[in-house]
Amino acid sequence: MTSLIPINLLRLVVLIFSQALFFSNIHIHPMIDIYIYPVFILLLPFQVPRWVLMILGFAIGISIDMLLGTLGMHAAVSVLLAYIRPMLINVITPKGTEFELSPNIYIQGSGWFLIYFLLAYTISLGAYFMIEAGTFYNLFWLLIKIITSVSFSVISSLIFIYLFTADKRRRHAGR
Amino acid sequence: MQNLIRFLLRYWLFIFFLLIESFCFYLIYSNSRFHEAILFNKANKVTGDFNAAYTSTTEYLSLGKANDSLARENAVLRARGIDAMAFIENQKRTAEDTLAKVVQTYSYFSAKVIKNSINQASNFIYLNKGSASGITTQMGVICEKGIVGQVVKVTENYSAVMSVLNKNFRVSAKMKNSDYFGQLFWTGSSIDQVKLEEIPKHVLVQIGDTVVTSGYSILFPENIMIGRVTKVHAQPEKNFLEIDVKLSAPMANLNYVYVIDHLYKNEIMELDSLTSKTVK
Repeated sequence: MTSLIPINLLRLVVLIFSQALFFSNIHIHPMIDIYIYPVFILLLPFQVPRWVLMILGFAIGISIDMLLGTLGMHAAVSVLLAYIRPMLINVITPKGTEFELSPNIYIQGSGWFLIYFLLAYTISLGAYFMIEAGTFYNLFWLLIKIITSVSFSVISSLIFIYLFTADKRRRHAGR
Repeated sequence: MQNLIRFLLRYWLFIFFLLIESFCFYLIYSNSRFHEAILFNKANKVTGDFNAAYTSTTEYLSLGKANDSLARENAVLRARGIDAMAFIENQKRTAEDTLAKVVQTYSYFSAKVIKNSINQASNFIYLNKGSASGITTQMGVICEKGIVGQVVKVTENYSAVMSVLNKNFRVSAKMKNSDYFGQLFWTGSSIDQVKLEEIPKHVLVQIGDTVVTSGYSILFPENIMIGRVTKVHAQPEKNFLEIDVKLSAPMANLNYVYVIDHLYKNEIMELDSLTSKTVK
């Protein structure tokens, strides 16, 4: 349990810097934005109380905002994501399943993770693009941007998670 | 009272959520009131230095391209002769020509782009020079191929430029061949397409025609390149044409830009306020 704090802190720092230095600087196409920083909120342990979730969400959101110059927008979105995260987990998890500690792609499985991330990213990036656009884009372009950005962000995030999660089951089985 | 406490206890999480969200939205909207530029971040010391460090690491990747464009520009300047004096940095000069006395109205600063965004609804560019180098708001920014934006916020060592690719950017532009002028703005659909409106319908506009600045604002001198016409829409219910223009400035890979200072802009602004008072 104690090792959870340094792991999450490290993840926070890595995500903020890779988002600000790398993912926000690869301009594949103006319709594709890649955001992977919500991974931090989505991978926090299940037991974290909701108000702590929201404060942590605000912290990572405002850090991203300062580095990208979008004051308040990412903070608003990640607080929203932190607030709905417990409901999201309840909705996609079959009744009676008990999870230990943090979400882990090798324990919950890639299918669960894919649905979890798709839902979370559609809500958060959808909210972000709507806040950003105001009345600016027309609805069609807004939808296109949400769809393309969500799919690219989910793919990048899952790759990120696969790269940085150790498969504990396999390691134990090997011994 | 008891009911109120019970209500608060029951919904305190939701109330907490609303409080944080309203703080975030306060940040967003207090920000956009000031030209959507910067309140306490970005052009300030910490993030400015962060971006400068980032650029100094990545600029090596495009050194070749930057050299080429600078060399090309040098050649253009040499060929220009007397006009070239305007490019001497931050000096007021008068040049005696055999035909006319030329008084300099614009001076140019060169600056380096330290951060550039192109994929938002309001894009900003950050430059490595600020008020310490003489940059103020209300200055136009160009690169050697065309217009880039307008300075909206200045700190001591950095400045923020509202890019052409910003939903709030407007500039007065004209057709080079016919001198009819209109408003130019970004529609947000693509990073090199802008729209020119208010050109009367009887004007003959052809695809490939050049669009340049009109010189009717203190931001840009006359005849600075903006782009070329790619499509002309003529709708029967409107008296004006809608013209699609392809920007000539490479907004996605800017390196060095020029900031234009109109030397008499205070005088013009004063005149502006005087006339508006008189009319009232």
